Amino acid sequence: MSLHDQDDPALRAAQEERLRAVWKPPSGLFLRWTDCNNDRVGVWYVLTAFAFMLFAGVLALIMRTQLAVPDNDLVSAGTFNQLFTLHGSMMMFLFAVPMFEAVSIILLPQLLGARDLPFPRLSAFGYWSFLLGGVFVGGSIFFNAAPDGGWFMYPPLTTRTDLSGLGADIWMLGLSFIEVSSVAAAVELIVGVLKCRPPGMRLNLMPLYAWYMLVVAVMILFAFPPLIAGDILFEMERLLNWPFFDASRGGDPLLWQHLFWIFGHPEVYIVFLPSIALFAMLVPTFSNRHLLGYPWIVLAAVGTAFLSFGLWVHHMFTTGLPKISLAFFSAASEAVAIPTAVQIFVFIATLWAGRVTWSTPLLYATGSLAIFVIGGLTGVMVAVAPFDWQAHDTYFIVAHLHYVLIGGTLLPLFAGLYYYWPLITGKRLSDRLGRIAFWMLFVGANLTFFPMHFSGLMGMPRRVFTYPEELGLGGLNMASTLGAWLFAAGVAVICVDLCLSPRRAKAQRNPWGAGTLEWLAHPDDEDWGIRSIPLIESRYPIWDQKDFVQKVDEGRFFLPDAEEGRRETIVTTVLDARPLAVIRLGTPSVIPILTALSLGGVFILTTYHLYWAALVCAVATLACAIWWLWTGTAEIPEKPCKPIGHGIELPLYISGPAAPGWWAMFITMMADATAFSGLVFGYYFFWTRHADFPPMAMADGPGMYWPMVALVLGVASWLATIAALEVHARGDVGIARLLLMLGIATSLAGIAAGLAGPWTHGMDPENHSYPAIVWTLTVWTVAHAGIAAIMQSYALARSIARRMDPQHDADIRNVTVYMHFFALTAIVAYATIGLFPSLS
Amino acid sequence: MARACILIFALACLSGCNAQQSTLSVFGADAREIRQIAIVLTVGAVVIFAITALLYIRAVRAPEESLNHHQGMRMILWVGAIGPTLILTALLLYALPAMRPRPASPADLVIRVEGEQFWWRVAYQPPNGGAPLPSANEIRLPVGRTVVFELAATDVIHSFWIPGLGGKMDMIPGRTNRLVVKAEKAGRYRGVCAEFCGLSHALMAFDVVAMEPAAFDTWLADARAIVPPPAIATPGRTLFDAQGCGACHTITGTPHAGIIGPDLSRFGERLTLGAGILPLTTENIAAFIRAPHQTKPGVRMPAYPQLSDEDARAIAHYLKGLR
Amino acid sequence: MKDRRPHWSERLKVTLWTLIVPPTIWAGHFLFSYLWAAISCAKAGAFATFPTLFVVGTVLALTLIALSGWVAWNQGRTPGASPPHEDSTDIDRLRFLAKSTLLLACLSFVGVLFTSLPVIYLRDCL
Repeated sequence: MSLHDQDDPALRAAQEERLRAVWKPPSGLFLRWTDCNNDRVGVWYVLTAFAFMLFAGVLALIMRTQLAVPDNDLVSAGTFNQLFTLHGSMMMFLFAVPMFEAVSIILLPQLLGARDLPFPRLSAFGYWSFLLGGVFVGGSIFFNAAPDGGWFMYPPLTTRTDLSGLGADIWMLGLSFIEVSSVAAAVELIVGVLKCRPPGMRLNLMPLYAWYMLVVAVMILFAFPPLIAGDILFEMERLLNWPFFDASRGGDPLLWQHLFWIFGHPEVYIVFLPSIALFAMLVPTFSNRHLLGYPWIVLAAVGTAFLSFGLWVHHMFTTGLPKISLAFFSAASEAVAIPTAVQIFVFIATLWAGRVTWSTPLLYATGSLAIFVIGGLTGVMVAVAPFDWQAHDTYFIVAHLHYVLIGGTLLPLFAGLYYYWPLITGKRLSDRLGRIAFWMLFVGANLTFFPMHFSGLMGMPRRVFTYPEELGLGGLNMASTLGAWLFAAGVAVICVDLCLSPRRAKAQRNPWGAGTLEWLAHPDDEDWGIRSIPLIESRYPIWDQKDFVQKVDEGRFFLPDAEEGRRETIVTTVLDARPLAVIRLGTPSVIPILTALSLGGVFILTTYHLYWAALVCAVATLACAIWWLWTGTAEIPEKPCKPIGHGIELPLYISGPAAPGWWAMFITMMADATAFSGLVFGYYFFWTRHADFPPMAMADGPGMYWPMVALVLGVASWLATIAALEVHARGDVGIARLLLMLGIATSLAGIAAGLAGPWTHGMDPENHSYPAIVWTLTVWTVAHAGIAAIMQSYALARSIARRMDPQHDADIRNVTVYMHFFALTAIVAYATIGLFPSLS
Repeated sequence: MARACILIFALACLSGCNAQQSTLSVFGADAREIRQIAIVLTVGAVVIFAITALLYIRAVRAPEESLNHHQGMRMILWVGAIGPTLILTALLLYALPAMRPRPASPADLVIRVEGEQFWWRVAYQPPNGGAPLPSANEIRLPVGRTVVFELAATDVIHSFWIPGLGGKMDMIPGRTNRLVVKAEKAGRYRGVCAEFCGLSHALMAFDVVAMEPAAFDTWLADARAIVPPPAIATPGRTLFDAQGCGACHTITGTPHAGIIGPDLSRFGERLTLGAGILPLTTENIAAFIRAPHQTKPGVRMPAYPQLSDEDARAIAHYLKGLR
Repeated sequence: MKDRRPHWSERLKVTLWTLIVPPTIWAGHFLFSYLWAAISCAKAGAFATFPTLFVVGTVLALTLIALSGWVAWNQGRTPGASPPHEDSTDIDRLRFLAKSTLLLACLSFVGVLFTSLPVIYLRDCL
């Protein structure tokens, strides 16, 4: 196919017909929900997250109404505690994080000129998990069973079953489930940004939104797993009475606070950076020029990501830790303001240098920057530890965090809503309603939260369902309540604007005159995403590249056809986006829904202590996962290569570090290793807490013998798999299969040896935190050995079924990545439990 | 906007600023120093906000190309990066020395306070040794002397906060935290629990009385000299015995030595009832005995609805007489 | 054109991995500082009057960050067209990564300095 071919309208029409057929969404009352096209899943995701936001907002309104006057009794203390717990938890876990993932699922493929994200079914799985978990957690309030321990869930209040009920389990298990889906989305986004860029889009030409998404997704990868580790310990204590946080049996409540805030502080930046990313897209558009200081933005994003992991103790300034520890975190908390300032001045400089077109999205961006700067400045104030000793846990903090989150997440999202609505629906929202809503939101937010700075300093603690009249806080609180209602009315105006949208006429294409790739979207959009995948030569191709839109539309770039009737996209290299391969994408399927349902079953049934039913669901989840992998991945193509236009021919199969699947495994295992490091942190944390650890009475621990045997077996299994990979690549399939069998055998033997240590030494995990953490590390490692055996068996089965051969060896390569991490886990875990007792 | 909010704040203050529980009306050295830091920080924040806002407005209004690429990069470097770095360095150098804890000596008065759902167990441990003096829900301090609080908790995490005196400190099961303070002005103040601790977290406060040193010494000596209440069988005292109140409460000099609930010795001299939530009147005490959950959801004390109003008042009368 | 063998600092390939070297050193130093203080206080109840270990760790971190910043700066000053460097060329991609690495090195350097300041003011475990 040459350029001239594309001059032929008949050929183009035929191509379009084929593309349309390939990307046709499933129809039917049930089957339409099996769709996995990013446009549709993304929209469901956005709408669901928006609905959760409205719900959590209503909860806040009830709270504000209760606090309007002193000594009010609109709601009881119990209800109020459920309200604030659910408000915070939902806004964080069910709105802020999922919302940016949802927006990215819609936008990212368009920004990257890809037909879809690399794992469309994973997006669908993430969505259904999110919906199920979100309804489970949010719905609990209608049964008066909502969690009531605060969104931070500090033990022992929440781990003691006599002080907190089912709500704590619902929080822990329901949100763990959602954390899994967040990590899944992070994997998808990282691989999408690194491997699915259009040819020519080198790292220095990547849209800044993609840079931010890359950074944020990596942050999720390292921030969520410590919380998952904390969740595991937490539920072990609640369900099995293992005393991790019970001081009377050697536990320590502060361990939870560490694990929670190692997640909790990066979380703030996880929800803030995507909003800055939206600014980085719309500021150049409305300045009508390239963004100034592109490397500075990358500096700011990456710098913030790193620094944000050094801030967690600033939520623990009043826990009595040594002042020197607090001071390290105080210093880092101030350092993080530097990259934030850089970002703001990049925008100011760009606006200054450009010709500003005033518009509703820019109005929202301006307002949110104003609010965010106030929140950032009070953030610098509370980073000063002595000031925080007064401000901590008062309404000053409520004011600070809402300034940050409204200015740094909510209003930017509304800016994005007004900016990108035409991209998604082809219609513009009303400028008039948008402006009215903006001023209601802006005045409402300030009226609600500005007085809270003062009520906090005047001695009003957080999380109080009422306050005495004598404190003289009535006036400030009344102002806050009025502001909250005004803010809610502003949100209602936006909702009205959205509801009126279907009745409006279609807007023109690229209505804001933007220069970035996503604005190729046509108001009457087709499901195929992009007509042909362009060659990128600029950061703003629509502005800078000649006849760009026309060339894309006429299929004059790459992959303009779907000859084999398959959904496809191009995989490129990480640094310079040189085309590597064409991959076939997942098609609509019921598997993601079934997997989400059965995994949800595991979490939800465990909440109600229905362990056998939960086990059945766990087996079903495993079965679904294997079914999914077996039928949907590493398929051997019908021909080795295919042309993508312009005389370029690309392979249809890749494996190893060039392949998206390898990266997905690698990234998932990074998250897994991080969760594991959270558990290891627990072990050494207990060591610092106790003068003698292991305690004298159990100085033996699990002994040295069995942990060392298990370690050797784990390493043997790892080496067997590596050897299998090597000989398989050389064509010795038979020997490779034998080595895999050896690997399976050693993995299984490793399970027995791992359990034998604590078992033969009669370690009772209910006794003390020491046996409990030893058992936890053991069970974690043993479970990974079990997964290793399953993976090795899978590779073996693929080989026997001839779905894997020396030329098509993605399966065993991915299993080997898993095994590297498994070996690391086994070495660290067994060395810790087996050797450390004799050292200390 | 900000101006409107300040106006609202002024109005709110006119309607009655409290002087008992506020970081702005201070009576301790630490609170005073922190208030000074707060003022510096606030002024700095306002100035930075104003500069940023002015630059933003200027940027939006500036005609095209009024800033070329080179100038733009210089602005990002100096205003966005180097400027903030210098300001933050200065701030850090200003703030770090303020983190040093107030020095204490073994000769200082130690007051051990334990948080429980939803009240405060207090024990004065005089430096010259001797048995600690137990109390509850009220703390008395000598003005001008260093006092060391030993803070602990038995059930869940609480946080000990007297806004007018100094910063807060968490009370964490399994740990003992120290907070060293110095009151500077005599008077009656209020402290609260600042860490969410369950149903009645909002109703967990205490009274603070800062006294002149001489008066404090007299008070402590009097309180430590155990004078049993007259052993006359008043109706209230008989009922207190009969209802088994002594299983949970202690009244020194009587057989009642329960340690589950607050110590009630010298109860009549306290300023409030129910951990700082109700004025100490006979009516309030009687109502609290009959239905403590009415005023304090989640409280551990069982209700005594079977007591007649008259009997409850008799007990209340007895308790109020304990001094 | 090339009349000399490029200096080693120019031959090093800047990639996404080298980009995160300076902040990773900051993170390592930060973790080290935190663990050093936490373990000293928990196990010994105090730390040394002259914290040799801490000083050595800090100097090492600063040196490594400065080194990676210098490598990046050396790579980024390739002669060529005037800024903005935002074309789809190998050289501009290199310039971009080098510039970003240099900026991150500066930020990380400041970060390590900030982290080391508390040790000057606070000398005990209270």
